[in-house]
Amino acid sequence: MKRLLRALAFATLLLVVLAALASSTLPDGLKRVAAMLGFGSRSSSVGPASPFANYETRYFHSRWAAQITAGLVGVALMWGFGALFARTLKRKR
Amino acid sequence: MHIPDGFLSTPVWAGLDLAAVPVVGYLVRRTQAEFDDARVPLLGVMGAFIFAAQMINFPVGVGTSGHLVGGALLALTLGPCAASVVMTAILVVQALVFQDGGITALGANVINMAVAGVWLGYWPARLAGKDPRRRRLAVFLGGWLSLFSAALLATLELSLSRVAPNRPLFASMLGVHAITGLVEGAITLAALETIARLSPGFVFRREET
Repeated sequence: MKRLLRALAFATLLLVVLAALASSTLPDGLKRVAAMLGFGSRSSSVGPASPFANYETRYFHSRWAAQITAGLVGVALMWGFGALFARTLKRKR
Repeated sequence: MHIPDGFLSTPVWAGLDLAAVPVVGYLVRRTQAEFDDARVPLLGVMGAFIFAAQMINFPVGVGTSGHLVGGALLALTLGPCAASVVMTAILVVQALVFQDGGITALGANVINMAVAGVWLGYWPARLAGKDPRRRRLAVFLGGWLSLFSAALLATLELSLSRVAPNRPLFASMLGVHAITGLVEGAITLAALETIARLSPGFVFRREET
């Protein structure tokens, strides 16, 4: 189990770096279809702007640094969610 | 795949937001009642892994990219109830922190990817039996179905919102995502086989429903 958790954690960090270095900048299927069929302009944003919008931290000039830090923030939030949810599971039993 | 704000008409996004709340609430309660204690440390680790994997877009041809959604992968490692809850958490973080997927469209994205995508990605492997070859095929099919079903629901929601004529909308959305689904199936299979090698017994547990 510990081996699996370590491997998954390492792979997660590797994926964050890989996403910054090698992710395609082409639009995804929905954005492409929306642009092609003319409803892409309907896209809007509700609520305040996030400093991590589009997976890029606003305060960095380097795109790689901006993407890697944003990715790490997301990973930390998911680890935090996992820890909190695990606590609620234990408390229920 | 993540529907942004503005694409869906108000009755469609509001209806799906209202529908998603009790569905996720029910899945949280079922997870609390029956989740395997041994898998608890995997909740955050798998969630973070899928979150990071979703950040990587790969080209799928015709000027389009795709990314792993991971519904089948989560379902076959955590069980479908916990997988739906973890996928919902990923979608909430993506919408609120990274502005990927709309806040008003969150219910639609949850129903498409965290409910339909997870459960339809789970069942082929669940029904495949123990024959390794059939099971591998079922995992691949589950990965494909997970992504394709989410795309089909998204297309239906866009169609109900009358954003574009139905024929080109369905043809282009389903065509692109049928191809992306093949990559989803292949990644799901490769990842599950790696996890099964690292920790035998952690995937394909048949007692989970």
